[in-house]
Amino acid sequence: MSMTILTVDDSRTMRDMLKLALSDAGFRVVQAEDGVHGLEVLRLEAPDVIVTDINMPRMDGYGFIKGVRSDDRHRAVPILVLTTESDAEKKDRARRAGATGWIVKPFDPVKLVSAIRRVAA
Amino acid sequence: MPVGFTSNPRIVPVLELSEVLDIKAAAPLAAAFLERRGAEILVDAARVEKLGGQCLQVLLSAAFTWKADELPFGIVEPSAAFLDALALLGVPADALGDQGLAR
Amino acid sequence: MDSLAAIKQTFFQECEEQLAELESGLLAIEGGIQDSETVNAVFRAVHSIKGGAGAFALDDLVRFAHVFETALDHLRAGLLLPSAEVTGCMLRAADVLADLVRAARDGGSVDAARCKALGEELAALDPDGAGTVPETDDGMDGIDFAPVLVELDDLDALPAPSGRHFTIRFTPHPDLYAKANDAAVILREITRLGDATITCDTSDVPLLSELDPEGSCLSWTIRLRTASDAAAVREVFEFVEGDCDVAISAEAEEDGEDLDVAALLARLQGEVAGETAEATAQQLIADETPLPGSEVIDLSEVRRQGKAHEVAPEPASKPEATAASTAAPPTIRVDLDRVDRLIDLVGELVINQAMLAQRVFEAGLARASGVAAGLDELEQLTREIQDSVMAIRAQPVKSVFQRIPRLVREVAALTGKTVRLVTEGEATEVDKTVIERLSDPLTHMIRNAIDHGLESPEARLEKGKPAEGQVRLSALHRSGRIVIEVADDGAGIDRPKVKAIAARKGLVAADAVLSDEEIDNLIFLPGFSTAASISDISGRGVGMDVVKRSIQALGGRISIASRPGEGSTFTMSLPLTLAVLDGMVVTVAGQTLVVPLTAIVETLQPKAVEVHGLGGAARVIAIREHFVPLIDVGRELGYRGNDADPLDCVALLVESEGGARNALLVDAILGQRQVVIKSLEANYRHVPGIAAATILGDGRVALILDVDAVVARSRSDAASHETFLAAAG
Repeated sequence: MSMTILTVDDSRTMRDMLKLALSDAGFRVVQAEDGVHGLEVLRLEAPDVIVTDINMPRMDGYGFIKGVRSDDRHRAVPILVLTTESDAEKKDRARRAGATGWIVKPFDPVKLVSAIRRVAA
Repeated sequence: MPVGFTSNPRIVPVLELSEVLDIKAAAPLAAAFLERRGAEILVDAARVEKLGGQCLQVLLSAAFTWKADELPFGIVEPSAAFLDALALLGVPADALGDQGLAR
Repeated sequence: MDSLAAIKQTFFQECEEQLAELESGLLAIEGGIQDSETVNAVFRAVHSIKGGAGAFALDDLVRFAHVFETALDHLRAGLLLPSAEVTGCMLRAADVLADLVRAARDGGSVDAARCKALGEELAALDPDGAGTVPETDDGMDGIDFAPVLVELDDLDALPAPSGRHFTIRFTPHPDLYAKANDAAVILREITRLGDATITCDTSDVPLLSELDPEGSCLSWTIRLRTASDAAAVREVFEFVEGDCDVAISAEAEEDGEDLDVAALLARLQGEVAGETAEATAQQLIADETPLPGSEVIDLSEVRRQGKAHEVAPEPASKPEATAASTAAPPTIRVDLDRVDRLIDLVGELVINQAMLAQRVFEAGLARASGVAAGLDELEQLTREIQDSVMAIRAQPVKSVFQRIPRLVREVAALTGKTVRLVTEGEATEVDKTVIERLSDPLTHMIRNAIDHGLESPEARLEKGKPAEGQVRLSALHRSGRIVIEVADDGAGIDRPKVKAIAARKGLVAADAVLSDEEIDNLIFLPGFSTAASISDISGRGVGMDVVKRSIQALGGRISIASRPGEGSTFTMSLPLTLAVLDGMVVTVAGQTLVVPLTAIVETLQPKAVEVHGLGGAARVIAIREHFVPLIDVGRELGYRGNDADPLDCVALLVESEGGARNALLVDAILGQRQVVIKSLEANYRHVPGIAAATILGDGRVALILDVDAVVARSRSDAASHETFLAAAG
């Protein structure tokens, strides 16, 4: 029974790298390009974990997280944000928006996968 | 619906727990128990795959409520995942009803 | 490998799209469209290209994109106005960026001279004229997919359950569940650390009619036996910090003889655990059928009291656990706001005590009188209370030091150097606010030490050094401050090269005679560490001038000691707290002001021959062959209309942001003292040129001068200074 992970990032290169790391770990990956797209994808998909970037056009990560948490269907889904190690302010804002945890960039594929397994447990 | 009912006329009403008992399942579960208050109850935990802290609160609260009402409350057919979750959450089997957990 | 190659293809496609976006955005800006979304999109395009390029080690591309991004960052921040000259330069830069992308993709080459020229042109757009930027919010927010060494011990290997004992008290808040975390997830993480005995406290679970299904009424006590340290235990709660109450108390490390006792205790604990949960279940019924005097009710009362004081005591019904923990001091968890309130109150007490002392002095009471002696004792006590309260906020620097090994591994991997990190003094304590702001400068310094300090393994072997370089990070307390050192055993500062770079960049005259120390300190000058020393690892704004500025902002100082061939040591010294400040109390036009001591280099009495007018109100003072702008503080703050006569004043030579020196004119110096900082904005509002306020012994409010802001204001007042100084110096 493989888990489905939704990745939300405006950079295709980044999405592909996430997909590579996550598929290698045996997850099914669905992707979105920004917050608005992410919420659209969620109408059809029910991911087990969401990984999202912060800085995106149209709708940034904070808006996206709030959108997910206010949707009864998805409010229990763990959300991990991609952030830099030093950026306490961003982490804090993301958490206040309802993020479950964070992944430090540049991400280490092993740690990414273990963080996902940890929050999905 | 996360909670379903199966009436078993030969014994007692059975409340069947759903697979995923996360934050979303807590309120419907509490409502289902409240609906059954005032009669003996058996809780079927066979299908449970995931038990979170808030649904555990509901289960404990229900057990205490039934005990206060001096009515029998029991958990039956617990799945392995359910028993593992109880152990992880530090709750001994007999805290959930006087009948304990029968496999 | 195939997948990575495919991603690289994607990257180049994406680059083309970003380049198109960049060009159309820049054209729109040139055409007068300057809304933030357009500027953001342009910034994001370059940022994105840089991030991907970093992941694929396309160094030339990263370097150029970095300079470009810096300029765009200024545009975004409004520091740079989109004049025709600026947009023209950026459009040409976009062309070069496109060339670089295509060269990276197709293996061709670019016009290196053009690339370099445009890089310099972009750097010259820097509003500070310095080509460096402070690290912004998303300075590293790129797509970095750096190869990271995966260590086996990073994986979920079960540590041998031995070593330490912890008692963890864990009470989730409803928010923890709302963010899709769960108590079960946290408890599972704890069990991964070793042998855990988990007890659920169900005493707050109400009957169904009163239950909030999405509330939180359970708490847990975990006894953990683990090989991991307290930091690892705390890390389990990383994601839920603030969404739960956690108290972790450690017990003494056991030695061999204690093993059996520990096992026995663990077993007892297990039995007690069973009893507690059962007992608490009964207690719930007791809510309706009271059982006076029962032990269980005592327990719940203790818990409730504990909650009211936001402390998490050991459950009273567990004598075994209490006995076992006597070796380690018990800890409580206190809301930070309460501590801050206490610090505020103690600050007021200090002020009050000083006021009282002054009144007594004014009343002419004899020094030997009983009142004076009592006051001395009061002063002593007040100081002790202040120190003790400050100590509550103190934390070991370990939390910052812990992140360094990973950083070292990453930078070492990227630079191809082998590095051994030695840390000392992790337990050294410093105020929480200082710790929080220590991380960035320290990260820069470590990167710098590896990237620029250490030689390549080959070069080291040639010089007869071990191939593995060493970086030593240490912390210690020295005369009321914390001193942090980053030392490498690399090549030391290449002084001829440093001087040559500084001369080329116009930071010093080519024929200037400089001491070794003066040369070493050139690396702290803004503008020094741009093009020549920029590297992919160092990333944005990593110039040592930025490091120096952020340390100064904390009231600290940084110095460097370097020996050719043996290595360099950067030493930063910081105050232990940001709640008090060492200041020089001065008067300006009848007002009392406090100037932070860390900003002051020296004080002097201006002489007529040293002061020169520059036309208008602008004046400079000659200090040892250098002309330094003379700033009348009274005039800058609007306390007086006309400039004071410098000859009647005292000049404070201050070093501001980026090492620039200015002389501040004040009327008189009253003395030096430690003052308690009061935020002006919290009590009043932001005042330009003023950082905060304090209350002096005589009860008067004195404003604390923001030296950088005063200097910046005066500079914008008189741009003519700059041109003259450039000519003169």
